[in-house]
Amino acid sequence: MQNEVELTPEAAVRAVMRDILGLSEEQVAEFTAETELFGALPELDSMAVAGLLTELEDRLDIMIEDDEVDGELFETFGNLVAFAEMKVTE
Amino acid sequence: MTLSPAFVDYEFADRKELCLCAASASSRRVMIVPPLFDEMNRMRKMLVDVMRSLETMDIGSFLPDLPGSNESLIALEQITMSDWQNAVQACARQHEISHVASFRGGALVVAGMQTASHWIFSPVKGATILRTMMRTRVAADREAGLTTSLADLTAQAKTGSIELAGNILGSELFAQLNAAEIPDMKDQRIIRLESDGKPADAQIPGSALWLRAEPDDDPAMSKAIARDIAGWIGE
Repeated sequence: MQNEVELTPEAAVRAVMRDILGLSEEQVAEFTAETELFGALPELDSMAVAGLLTELEDRLDIMIEDDEVDGELFETFGNLVAFAEMKVTE
Repeated sequence: MTLSPAFVDYEFADRKELCLCAASASSRRVMIVPPLFDEMNRMRKMLVDVMRSLETMDIGSFLPDLPGSNESLIALEQITMSDWQNAVQACARQHEISHVASFRGGALVVAGMQTASHWIFSPVKGATILRTMMRTRVAADREAGLTTSLADLTAQAKTGSIELAGNILGSELFAQLNAAEIPDMKDQRIIRLESDGKPADAQIPGSALWLRAEPDDDPAMSKAIARDIAGWIGE
């Protein structure tokens, strides 16, 4: 059995975005802090967001509460990474 | 020309359920236990590609409909976790299957099959599956101007059926899923994606199709999965 490997929050967010949107590694590597998400990416509907939150919880071993989730969180890639980084240090 | 895979059936609780089957004449047979709910739809094409690939290696495969899902005649609302567990055991018995490959939440359904050999892909606990489904419901409610929380929904599911992301789950199924941990089988091989940091016996390149906004396939991943299953089953 291979051992647990720690993922950085940014790497985890990038990997999950890649899986949801069906992008290549190169495409998702082009995401910057300013890349717009919700509204700009039609694939990112409420069902996809639900999967994204649970998958981040699972990959980063964090718990995200209802009241932490608002529209601003999904505005940009940078917001989402900053949130994930904040959660892992809690 | 014979179409493959094709449907056969298995009997469970005095009813017949459909089961997709490829290379049924082979002496090596694996049952493919799909993910649960929407994840099953998103991964079905990938699973069928795995079956076709296994057929080229002369390995028979069986993909049962879980009662209450797919073409099943019974309503999901009436189904419990024990029904699913008993159904896959009935399918394995009727089609003389000794090897079981389960995907995601499918691993929870095969938990009772301790004497079989298990190949398990990216297993997930029941509470995680429910959390995503409850979040989808919360988002839908919000769009309708209602404020619901995960705690509200969990409380509501204690007293009756609950609609989550288009599925009506009975109270018992919800409670059983919420408590269902990833099983630890005597004879098991755990496979995860390369992008997944959790412990595994082997990793496969590919992407988490269960997260994909639209159902999609990944032929390279299907082939890699089929090769790994074939190596695990052996001659």
